Amino acid sequence: MTGRRSRTTRQLTAGRGVYAVLGVAVLLSLFPLYWTLVAASRTNTEIHRMPPVLLPGGRLWHNVTQVFAQTDLRLAMLNSLVVATTVTASVVLTSTLGGFAFAKLRFPGRSPLLASVVATMMVPTQLGIIPLYIMMANWFHWADHLQALIVPAAANAFGLFFMRQYLIGAVPDELLDAGRMDGCTTRGLVWHVVLPAARPAMSVLGMLTFMAAWNDFYWPKVVMTQQNPTVQLTLSELASGYIKDYSLVLTGALVASAPVLVAFLLMGRQIIDGIMQGATKG
Amino acid sequence: MPVSLPRTGPRGRLLATSALLVLALTAVTSCSSSGGSSSADEDPNAKITLTVNLFSDFGYADLYKEYEQAHPNITIKENRADMGAHHQNLHAHLLAGSGTADIEAIEIGQVAGFQPEAGKFVNFLDNGVSKDQWVPSKTAPASSPDGKVLFGLGTDMGGMALCYRSDLFKAAGLPTDREQVAALMKDWPSYLAAGKQFLSASPNKDVRWFDSGGNLFTSILAQAPQGVYDADGKVVVTSNPAVKQSFDLVAGAIKDGESAGIQAFTPAWDTGFQKSQFATVACPAWMSYEFKANPPADGGKWDIARIPGGGGNWGGSYLSVPKSGKHTKAAAELAKWLTAPAQEARLFKEKGYFPSDQELWTQPDIAEHTDPLFNDAPTGKIFSQSARDLSPQPLGAHGAEIGTAIGNALTSIEQGKADPDGAWKQALKDVDNIVN
Amino acid sequence: MAAPTAAARGARAPARPAGRRPAGHRPAGHRRHRLDRTLSPYLYLSPFFLVFGVFGLFPMLYTGYVSFTGWRADRPGSAGDWVGFENYRKLLDDPFFWNAVKNTLGIGVLATVPQLLLALGLAHLLNYRMRGRTLLRLGVLLPNVTSVAAVTLIFVQLFGRDFGLVNWFLSLFGVDHVDWQAGTLSSWTAIAAIVTWRWTGYNALLYLAAMQTVPFELYEAAALDGASRWRQFRSITIPMLRPTILFTVIVSTIGALQLFGEPMLFSQQQDPTTGGSQHQFQTLALYSYNQFWGRFKYGYGAAISWAMFLLIVLVAAVNFLAARRMRGVE
Repeated sequence: MTGRRSRTTRQLTAGRGVYAVLGVAVLLSLFPLYWTLVAASRTNTEIHRMPPVLLPGGRLWHNVTQVFAQTDLRLAMLNSLVVATTVTASVVLTSTLGGFAFAKLRFPGRSPLLASVVATMMVPTQLGIIPLYIMMANWFHWADHLQALIVPAAANAFGLFFMRQYLIGAVPDELLDAGRMDGCTTRGLVWHVVLPAARPAMSVLGMLTFMAAWNDFYWPKVVMTQQNPTVQLTLSELASGYIKDYSLVLTGALVASAPVLVAFLLMGRQIIDGIMQGATKG
Repeated sequence: MPVSLPRTGPRGRLLATSALLVLALTAVTSCSSSGGSSSADEDPNAKITLTVNLFSDFGYADLYKEYEQAHPNITIKENRADMGAHHQNLHAHLLAGSGTADIEAIEIGQVAGFQPEAGKFVNFLDNGVSKDQWVPSKTAPASSPDGKVLFGLGTDMGGMALCYRSDLFKAAGLPTDREQVAALMKDWPSYLAAGKQFLSASPNKDVRWFDSGGNLFTSILAQAPQGVYDADGKVVVTSNPAVKQSFDLVAGAIKDGESAGIQAFTPAWDTGFQKSQFATVACPAWMSYEFKANPPADGGKWDIARIPGGGGNWGGSYLSVPKSGKHTKAAAELAKWLTAPAQEARLFKEKGYFPSDQELWTQPDIAEHTDPLFNDAPTGKIFSQSARDLSPQPLGAHGAEIGTAIGNALTSIEQGKADPDGAWKQALKDVDNIVN
Repeated sequence: MAAPTAAARGARAPARPAGRRPAGHRPAGHRRHRLDRTLSPYLYLSPFFLVFGVFGLFPMLYTGYVSFTGWRADRPGSAGDWVGFENYRKLLDDPFFWNAVKNTLGIGVLATVPQLLLALGLAHLLNYRMRGRTLLRLGVLLPNVTSVAAVTLIFVQLFGRDFGLVNWFLSLFGVDHVDWQAGTLSSWTAIAAIVTWRWTGYNALLYLAAMQTVPFELYEAAALDGASRWRQFRSITIPMLRPTILFTVIVSTIGALQLFGEPMLFSQQQDPTTGGSQHQFQTLALYSYNQFWGRFKYGYGAAISWAMFLLIVLVAAVNFLAARRMRGVE
């Protein structure tokens, strides 16, 4: 962290106006989460009151025990954790390597390959879903197994493209050329130049990927069953029926967001530090 | 954790770990294909878990316990999904030939859409089930077109009644006694006339007569001999006068300001119950939960009377056993037991779900059942009568969709975006898009 | 932070596990070096193309095949009926399809443009030195963590016709109750608000990461030349952020054109895939889903999804070219 102090001194310092604007932004961002807490601590009847109730009630514990009694949330959380962690590690790695190749290496077919990666982002996923399901179920026999969620998500165009755009600016060509002159192989360059420079973007991408994997719903719903559910699948079970008990739905939502929030708070400093270590300037 | 990247060396370890994880997961996986295992030669005493996929609470929890006690080798696990998603998944899984649960529920508005796939379900007629347990109008939609396959066992049905707020009626000078209410509103035109009277006399001007045009339309058309399909499975929205008549009746009522314009089964609807935004609701038996869950905030009381026009059915379900399940034989036995008269009777008394088994409608403990939720109204008598008065309607694959399209058109009138003529034309365009 | 220049002096890459490379016996380098430079890029890209090829491309092509058939679940035996371009021809005459195109583009513009501008401003503010920076930065990402179930319920209540907070607020200024789901523009606005709320912080964080790479000396030099903060932002920050801006524009455009969850959740109809009483906010993704799942028109639904794909390619290409022309991005 040696570079950090000298770096922060060179930043613009916030005035009162900046705090005010950011305060409003964060309040707006926080409110629905707060309201989830309010709803999770009340009865379904109270939630539909108008004007809305804005203070937490006393039923949080009761609702939480209800949710755990009615669903297999423990297994679901474990499954989601395994899936999200594995997918994140894999996506960050493959995106960094691939993004580096697109950003800094010259090779035949670079432009068409890059165009095809961007093009794959444009494919509306929902309707490949039946063929995909048939593949998973009947060819791989992966239906209802975690790898059905992990393998298709192990690399994605978004991450690749994001990393490429970031590395274009973050890794100066001179540095790579210097490395080549010193006899570094490409792998050596990745190791000594690219990975350190990519860290801020890697942490951001990691966080976004983890959240996306944690919140993914559509595909798990098709390929997994409630025998081996993910968190979002279990939540949907709470939210089913002609008549929904929203207090339980939102309690589930709260419990399901908790690990992500905890990860946020634990990792937050590191993520931000990562971002703060502006990559290339020493 | 995903985002804590060690600063030096161990990056390779991250790669190795994730690779290992993937490997480990793959290794643990045995190839357990869920493709139609022939369960006919299964050991009847082997320990098995039966899975049941539903789209709402069918009230089965206690019944499972009882069944598990009687069959120590069987464990039952129930899953619920959203109604739309549940049926879409079932279609997808039937298409793929795997992924279905042992027992899958099907709603009556959707059941005809599964007729082409009747061959993918266990035929209950080969499993000692007699069609006579239900009236033909219940079994026909869950049978193959030739009648040789019965793939769904009727659970509950949506016998109709009229739920009304007796306190609001009183304030507006309308009768509050069930018999008098039924007498005043023998048919739909007189029901709507009473609505006008209510609106002009009610001291509370925020209350409307009914919740939404779509709901009312459903209830009115449910009483016609034919709805949107004829017996040959043709869509008859334009040729069946009953459809247009029902539509016009409702459109007129909306114009008179009788509708609150609140769609059923939305959060706003729940609020509508609590905030007393409407004085009457056409209510099938399974709706009673809504009244329990969202009591009027002003302490008002709901009561229940015979539906105008009598009879009609809205909703109700079936249990089916897809052939691609793991334990088709055991599943069929469980489905039969859950839908047997004894269990159906229990569900009505405990949960308010009105049975579709016809023999129960005359059974004293059902016919004389009263419900404290509705001021001790004789719900048993009201729903049995409604079930007996029911004129069976032919159903078709897109019945639910077409109902939605017409409901949407009525909504657009409620929103002031269309006049009845324009809305009807819009509905016909939609129906055309559904059918072709 | 290992200073890269120092690292680069290490003549050789650290010891590595054996594998993947043909062990060349020829004294070091030249050939191997060439091989390394030729093969490495492909090696690094292979995981993505492998995963996409199997799990993305194949299902997509299969859906493409289905779009040339008359397959409908309510017509048994229609699965293999080859109908050529019939579905696509029907599509061009389908008012519901064009309505969905209109809605998709309209909501897309409303949801994307303000969102990215807000995100840029937010990122700039978050880049200041201040107390509680970490919490603030994480705070703006919260909307993305909040579960969809909660978001739906909250926004449906906010935009409620009779008791919604938004209408209550407007009524203070003498505005009559708005039925948000009813009108075309009002429903577009509400949906765009939900999308903006969910994704602004997300994009802000992407911008923030890129802002860190802007050398501070540039600002110092500009400040010496007497450039105002705004001027610095416009002529240093924005140009330096070009690659990332281009990225977010393309990704957000694609996301907006595939909008599915938000309009579905916003709907207060019994069938949320119809997108309002007169399809006033039925997006393309909703329409294809509705035809595919709601109405079992597999062939037609597949054709819509392919048309949607082509439209997305078209719009993204236009965007990309416009961005390139405007700024000469690499």
